[in-house]
Amino acid sequence: MKISNARDPRTLLTAAFLVLAFLIPLFIGSNLYYLTILILMLIFIIYASAWNFLTFSGQGSLGHAAFFGLGGYAASLLALRLGLPPLVTLVFGGAFAAVIGILIGLTCVRLREWFLAMVTFGFAVIIQTLVVSQLAPVTGGWDGYPVPKLVPTSIPGYLMIEYYLILIIAIAVILIFHYLLKSRIGLALAAIRENELEARAAGINPVPFKLFAFGVSAFVTGIAGSLEIFHFGYITPEIFGIDLSFWPIIYSITGGLGTLAGPIVGTIVVTLLWDGLNAVGLTYARFIIIGVLLVLIIIFLPRGLVSIPEEIQKRIRRKKS
Amino acid sequence: MDGSIGILSQVAFWGLYSGCIYILLATGLNLIFGVMKIVNFAHGEFLMLGTYVTFFLFVISGFNPYVLLICSIPVLIVVGIIVERLCFRPILGTGKLNEIFISLGLIYIFQNMVAMIWTDEWRSIKSPFSDITISLGPLQLPLDYLIIITVTILILVAFYLFLQKTALGRAIRAASQNRKGAMLMGINVEKMDMLTFGIGAGLAGAAGTLWAVSGQVFNPYMGSIPAIKGFAIIILGGLGSIPGAIVGGLAIGMVENFTAYTLGGSWKDAVSFILLIVVLVIRPTGLFGEAEE
Repeated sequence: MKISNARDPRTLLTAAFLVLAFLIPLFIGSNLYYLTILILMLIFIIYASAWNFLTFSGQGSLGHAAFFGLGGYAASLLALRLGLPPLVTLVFGGAFAAVIGILIGLTCVRLREWFLAMVTFGFAVIIQTLVVSQLAPVTGGWDGYPVPKLVPTSIPGYLMIEYYLILIIAIAVILIFHYLLKSRIGLALAAIRENELEARAAGINPVPFKLFAFGVSAFVTGIAGSLEIFHFGYITPEIFGIDLSFWPIIYSITGGLGTLAGPIVGTIVVTLLWDGLNAVGLTYARFIIIGVLLVLIIIFLPRGLVSIPEEIQKRIRRKKS
Repeated sequence: MDGSIGILSQVAFWGLYSGCIYILLATGLNLIFGVMKIVNFAHGEFLMLGTYVTFFLFVISGFNPYVLLICSIPVLIVVGIIVERLCFRPILGTGKLNEIFISLGLIYIFQNMVAMIWTDEWRSIKSPFSDITISLGPLQLPLDYLIIITVTILILVAFYLFLQKTALGRAIRAASQNRKGAMLMGINVEKMDMLTFGIGAGLAGAAGTLWAVSGQVFNPYMGSIPAIKGFAIIILGGLGSIPGAIVGGLAIGMVENFTAYTLGGSWKDAVSFILLIVVLVIRPTGLFGEAEE
């Protein structure tokens, strides 16, 4: 793995961004509202990055809330029943989501895009139904149950500790994705995404790679789900809602599909916009504004916000010539 | 024994009724898919708009809600045409799943515009015939459901005649069979896109009116699940096949109501997806679907 060129503006930007992420709580640390927004932002950066990782293999999902919720339920049940610390059980939450994800992936690998979208959406509905009906004795049905916090509230500055913990997890996740995509696996995934037939001809069996992408994506999504649950300290089946399946898609598209930076930029921009509009007092209107933003980006900026510098450079070059 | 047969046929009758709504949605989705090869996940929002147009006009005019079909269909046709021109035309032929992503945006826009105007409370209207039931042996048939089934059949027949007998219908069928070929024959394919999208939205609007008059409750967020089931239906029935949409719609309507009767109401939504997944595992292209292009 080549170490990126230090003069590359992208390396500088990333470094600046990381410094900012580590320093920002020091400035706003006393304001718990802002800190909560930042924590949720990090959780959704993890979630959106996981969703986006699936698109690297040419697959998509409209039902990732299934894995988000399964991770949350598995991790919190383990923490409650066995008394394990949340930081340990969230790995099991991710693993459980990954197992289910691979099972769902098995039914999906042969399907075309639209069918895949439908099946993943369907699974989220089916799992929610199971949780509120047949599994209700364990899950508490629609009422849900309280779960322990990631960092006990008795510790002073617990939110700050939580922020740094989740920040480290987020950085680890993005680094793993970065190296995975640079590896031979990433190359194979790209080949499958661009042309499955040619990939086959080159000796790549698409099925294990697609399942791998599904499993990894579900694993990280499960971890994100567990983190959210341990942050709120409560879980209900609302976690499987359609909205929670749609958010990572909106974040990823706004930022830029198929790039590592896309989901990060998208989550930050949309979350800030979202909470900003909320602060101004727009409730329904903010949904409309996000909807319009999404439509405009898909039509006029199909590669998302991260492509803006490139688009500007292109404009300038065109003017010069 | 007699009583249980009575109950079962009652459930079957409800299935037939809910099948009607699904058929109208699925036929519209199918027509749009046939011509434009896109999937409009925001199709349920047209259903929702249809219920609200009916609700609004019913409250201010007090007309018989069935008459309001004359309003809800044209209003939704216009909405559909606008949506096609502004949102789907620019992305035609771009990335694979763009139409699904743009539908997500549209879902947020429509749901919350309606919520801003009429709030997100559950609403319902009362049909003037809601107290009348017709007894047929052990069956108790609400008159409204009978009218809804009849209206659906009339709409489908009109739609079929339009597609088969008129020049416009022929042009739509041509564009759906072979886009390039139709273009070479001098058919304005883009106009057909606009038209089919409008008609699809109009059918969903009709379904919305029928939803409202049946006495079912509705709120701004009610559209997504029926539309996605409509899409499940056209996968079951085969993409682009109108008879498939009718058979699939009835099947889902029946299965849902029998499941709700046996397993409990919470399984009503999940069962159609279980059915869909089972079918797709066995046949990845749908029951009557053609092989990959």
